[in-house]
Amino acid sequence: MDQSRYRVKEPPILSSTEDRRAFLAKFASTVFAGLVAPGAIAQAQAQPAQSPAASGVKEGVKEDVLLRMQREVEKALQNPKRKWSMVIDLRKCVGCHACTVSCVAENRLPPGVVYRPVSEREIGVYPNVTYRFVPQPCMQCDDPPCVPACPYDATWKRNDGIVEIDYLKCVGCDKCIPPCPYGARTHDYGDFWTDKTPGKGEMPYEQLPVYEWGIKAEREADNGPMDKVRKCSFCLHRISQGLLPQCVNTCIGRATFFGDATDPSSLVAELIKQPNVMRLKEEKGTNPRVYYLV
Amino acid sequence: MQEVSRRELLKLGTVIGSGALLGEAASLLQTASAQGMVEGKYEIQLPENTIYTSCLQCNTGCPVKVKLYEGVASKIDGNPLTPWTLYPHLPLKTGITQLAKVDGSLCPKGQAGIQTAYDPYRIRKVLKRAGPRGSGKWVEIPFEQAVAEIAKGGKHFADIGDQRTYPGLEEYWAIRDPKVMKAMGDAVSAIWGEKDKTKKQALVEKFKTDFKDYLGAMIDPDHPDLGPKNNQIAVIWGRLKAGRREFLDWFFANGLGTTNMHGHTTVCQGSLYFTGKAMSEQLTYDGKGKYTWTGGDKFYWQGDLSKAEFVIFVGANLFEGNYGPPLRVGRLTQGTVDGSLKYAVIDPRGQKAIKNAAKWIAPKPGTDAAIAMGMMRWMFEQDRFDARFLGASNKAAAKQIKEATWTNGSWLVKMKDGQPERLLRASDLGLPKLKKTHDGKEVEFDPPLAFVDGKPVVVDPNSETTAVFGELFVNTKLSDISVKSGLQLLKEESRKYTLEGWAKLAGVQASDIEYLAKEFTSHGKKAVVDVHRGASQHTNGFYNCATWFTLNALVGNLDHQGGFVKASTYDVMGGKAGGPYDLGKLHPAKMPAFGVSMIRHGIKYEDTTIFAGYPAKRPWYPHASDVYQEILPSAAQGYPYPIKIMFHYMGSPAYSLPAGHTQIQAMLDPDKIGLIVASDIVVGESYMYADYIVPDLSYLERWEFQGSHPSVIWKVQPVRQPAIAPIPETVKVFGEEMPISMEALLLGLAEKLAMPGYGDKGFSNGMAFKRPDDFYLKMAANLAFGEKADSSDGVPEASDDEVKVFLAARRHLPASVFDETKWKAAAGEAHWRRVVYLLNRGGRFQEFEKAYAADDLIANKYGKQMNLFFDKQATSKNPMTGKPYYPLATYFTPYQDVLGQQLRDPGYGLTLLTYRQITQTKSRTIANYWLTAIHPENYLLLNALDAERLGLKDEQQVRVTSATNPKGIWDLGNGNFKPMIGKVKLVQGIRPGNVAFSLGYGHWAYGSSDIEINGQVIKGDPRRATGIHANAAMRVDPVLKDVSLSDLTGGSVVFYETKVNLVPVAG
Repeated sequence: MDQSRYRVKEPPILSSTEDRRAFLAKFASTVFAGLVAPGAIAQAQAQPAQSPAASGVKEGVKEDVLLRMQREVEKALQNPKRKWSMVIDLRKCVGCHACTVSCVAENRLPPGVVYRPVSEREIGVYPNVTYRFVPQPCMQCDDPPCVPACPYDATWKRNDGIVEIDYLKCVGCDKCIPPCPYGARTHDYGDFWTDKTPGKGEMPYEQLPVYEWGIKAEREADNGPMDKVRKCSFCLHRISQGLLPQCVNTCIGRATFFGDATDPSSLVAELIKQPNVMRLKEEKGTNPRVYYLV
Repeated sequence: MQEVSRRELLKLGTVIGSGALLGEAASLLQTASAQGMVEGKYEIQLPENTIYTSCLQCNTGCPVKVKLYEGVASKIDGNPLTPWTLYPHLPLKTGITQLAKVDGSLCPKGQAGIQTAYDPYRIRKVLKRAGPRGSGKWVEIPFEQAVAEIAKGGKHFADIGDQRTYPGLEEYWAIRDPKVMKAMGDAVSAIWGEKDKTKKQALVEKFKTDFKDYLGAMIDPDHPDLGPKNNQIAVIWGRLKAGRREFLDWFFANGLGTTNMHGHTTVCQGSLYFTGKAMSEQLTYDGKGKYTWTGGDKFYWQGDLSKAEFVIFVGANLFEGNYGPPLRVGRLTQGTVDGSLKYAVIDPRGQKAIKNAAKWIAPKPGTDAAIAMGMMRWMFEQDRFDARFLGASNKAAAKQIKEATWTNGSWLVKMKDGQPERLLRASDLGLPKLKKTHDGKEVEFDPPLAFVDGKPVVVDPNSETTAVFGELFVNTKLSDISVKSGLQLLKEESRKYTLEGWAKLAGVQASDIEYLAKEFTSHGKKAVVDVHRGASQHTNGFYNCATWFTLNALVGNLDHQGGFVKASTYDVMGGKAGGPYDLGKLHPAKMPAFGVSMIRHGIKYEDTTIFAGYPAKRPWYPHASDVYQEILPSAAQGYPYPIKIMFHYMGSPAYSLPAGHTQIQAMLDPDKIGLIVASDIVVGESYMYADYIVPDLSYLERWEFQGSHPSVIWKVQPVRQPAIAPIPETVKVFGEEMPISMEALLLGLAEKLAMPGYGDKGFSNGMAFKRPDDFYLKMAANLAFGEKADSSDGVPEASDDEVKVFLAARRHLPASVFDETKWKAAAGEAHWRRVVYLLNRGGRFQEFEKAYAADDLIANKYGKQMNLFFDKQATSKNPMTGKPYYPLATYFTPYQDVLGQQLRDPGYGLTLLTYRQITQTKSRTIANYWLTAIHPENYLLLNALDAERLGLKDEQQVRVTSATNPKGIWDLGNGNFKPMIGKVKLVQGIRPGNVAFSLGYGHWAYGSSDIEINGQVIKGDPRRATGIHANAAMRVDPVLKDVSLSDLTGGSVVFYETKVNLVPVAG
């Protein structure tokens, strides 16, 4: 069964200098060498206050914030004490649902399972009207009520802050679903998008393996998610490769930010310090790792 | 124990059904390629598993990367080399290994494109109808049979009791000699050029003598200007991009010699395009060396959001529609949060973009030009306009003040009875004509004039040396002729009402107009009005757009960073470099089609031999083209002549057009339109009325060159190329295997008819044209080669490693699509490595910094004159009223019929509006279940105040009725009706008095209802049938009675004016 893993669950600890050098050669340099002038990188790191999200003026835009965050993910992968966090700027969310659909596509989610819904609300009275769009991924709580609810130790809090599910252990008893105040967990009932069509649930994209939790698995296999409880993994399989979570990557309003909150120079660390930051349902004491800018 | 996965079981499973639909044959696609798992890698992110192409889930066409797993499209993300998905975008020289690791952003439709390609309702084999048109009964037939029947004609439907002989291409490819056709076309030009009635008739008689051997090939020898029978073959399309466009041209225009190739522009934003055309006409030499108004482009400008500080969006749905969310949204969210950009939204509906807007103004639909006129009044009164820019009367003057463009606003206009008649010319004042040398010949021309130091001065518009700075406001008499400047006329027009008066017409506050005008004139040239279809799709659409465009000229923001800008694309035709493949010159026997088009466009009614006084039987469009709504009704009416064979490509007139039921009626009767052949991927709302449906390739399986959008200041050309194995079945044409597709159909017909321009030496340079890639790879080679004869600006050649990755990434494509040897031969060995480099990046995209030039200008300029006075309009007549078109920006009252009569519809109290939500693209995204999971249905949005007044509740079911559809039904023909019923949703975000529904729902075909193939019922999917499509409520023109309302100047069909009622449905 371990053969199907394409990456270890926990990130590698880089002990020796050689390891570190090899790591850098593999990731950081291959992505960014030649893409971004070294000066631009240095500037971005030296002047964290001028991040595009916080105060960037268009004249000064040197690179897409996606590139900065991707670089920061690669840097964080070298940090064994990294803690992933997400920041969602509600002022920039346009309610396009690209994150929702991108996540469905990336994680091969079946009907009825959604990791990152976006709620839409109209506010005000004509003609003074506005909208509020709130994306809601799993909050990867530091005090997650779902974890103790699991009778099978199939879900736990990782060192990097992500709340993980082991599909080999999960029996789909659903006991973890009600304790979550954010409704982040859903049960995979084994439906397919093209059931009841001439496609009979067998269209090619419905047969693809799932990569969640860094494990490549057929959806219906023992180590796959069918008949289990599913939730957002911060796209662990992507971040472990130096990629951003899909929802962050595809955000057309650049409203979602991701990175290592323990790195003070990271964009998320800066944003979390902003005065207009908040978390959902703070009163539940769950200590979410997902923050909102309002 | 070895486990057998469901996946493996599938491979063993038997295929049921006929295999005509993809769903029945899905397992055939499970082609296990050698792709395996690489230890420690996320394999779909690797370059050898990635193909760069272009989305087409909407026409924004974002460049994308398709990530493959065992040959299956498993994930789609943005291509970061392009301004669509990353800002700033990565340079083209980025290595492909690095490129694979960066994903750009993409909208939800782009993400869901996989479900368009793998839609179980996709057709794989040719379907021929087995009942009356629209009956939903089909049989699958061999491709070869379809080709033979379409080519030859015959009693194709005798087995279902229809004894008609259907026309074939062979008969209507009547004139086959390009030289004869050229001579005929010249003779017809002479007929049109002759103003004297008797002499005109004499030329007709001469035509009949000169071409006496060919009169049988004419539609009507007494009216030679209708052209040959070739014109009775028509091809009409919905979404068609470069590449496939030229492929169609090669067959229909160059090959069959028909003039009837028409697109769908007027259902999108035709009047916006044709405003751009009117404003970009230049007074210069035309193709024949005549000095005249010429070269007007069917295009428009948009705002450059990368540098704009204030933007007014008029009828532009920035967060959900437009061109397009990934391309433009990021600038708005970033700018509004960091304070570098503000914008206002003018839209009767509270679109999502009001969230970040500084101001939302909700006018009465169709009145937005009144707001613009009010702004104009304020700007003239407050002296807040760019007098320096407007004073430049020609190119030399513009150059002197470091502007790239100039206007004719200072030129003098001849007045007649207090109305602008036309531009004043030197000869009007007895001044001598100017002489210019063109192509070695001396040509005389009668120049326009401007007023300088109290005197009229001739203006040579394109002079590089003699600058003319005209006075802006002129109102005087010269030689007893009353003259005014264009700007004077605009100023007077703006003073027709007070600010309050204009505000009242639009139903807004005067303070709103003042706010807009003040803000608009407070950012120098970094303020811009950005207009889209909300302004354009009205009976007054042309003038709405012209009025807003004029405002941009008043602040002189053309070609400026943050101003009014246009698209720039790299040449794919090889014309600029003269090679390597100058496709305009490679057809060996190009037919020069001629004659009045079936939609009567681009020509003056009065000049033709079928002129019969005013009003004409149907509208003519001298200043527009691609008038979509007129195509099928005109064909059915036989005006100006009947259409015998109609090809449809990737469109849905019945679904997309207002009053779409009239389009269905036009298609039902084979005695009216002889043969209908359609090419598409699914049996949709319109092509269900065809005689044959030929399966096509989806956007993930085919070639195209997507082009750009006006707001993109970078020069670009995205390539669409095959990314996945083709879904339709494979056939043999010219001895080559290829998937059934639009291309296979045309190649098959060309082979059957032995048309020149195809086969072993199809191209005049001796190269073969037997496969689709023989054509498209030449375009790719042109694009890679660059625009200079020495190719010094071409893309680099791919390295050995890049070639290796290129081949590996295509290892899942069958030889019918990708064959290295054949592709190399088609592109030419010498160009192959450049082509590989290009295709490895999904196109060509200018580096970020290079779009910005000195003097605050952009690098890729419009660089020409912009007309504020439309002389061509002034000197031509509206064929329905016999009156000249008004030649300047102004406000006209909306909701008029073709005769310009005001419509009222007493008893109908709400104005029907449509909009796009980001999860749907009109007729063709209902197949995307990931999207319908987010919005499973649509609603009729109604202001809560209206609901209270009408006693309607949230979620209540209502029927939409109108004066021309009092029953509130879709008449689908053959006695089938679909009630037009939807659910009300109470909102605050809409101006009271209006009701809006989003497009994309309310389907009656496209897999939403049962059809029969080979006697087997294919069940429809109820998820595809939800919601309401209320286009059939839209007003039918009371004079024509078989088509929706139209803008007679700009050609647009009218979406936002119909008065309707919402009638509660019991239960």
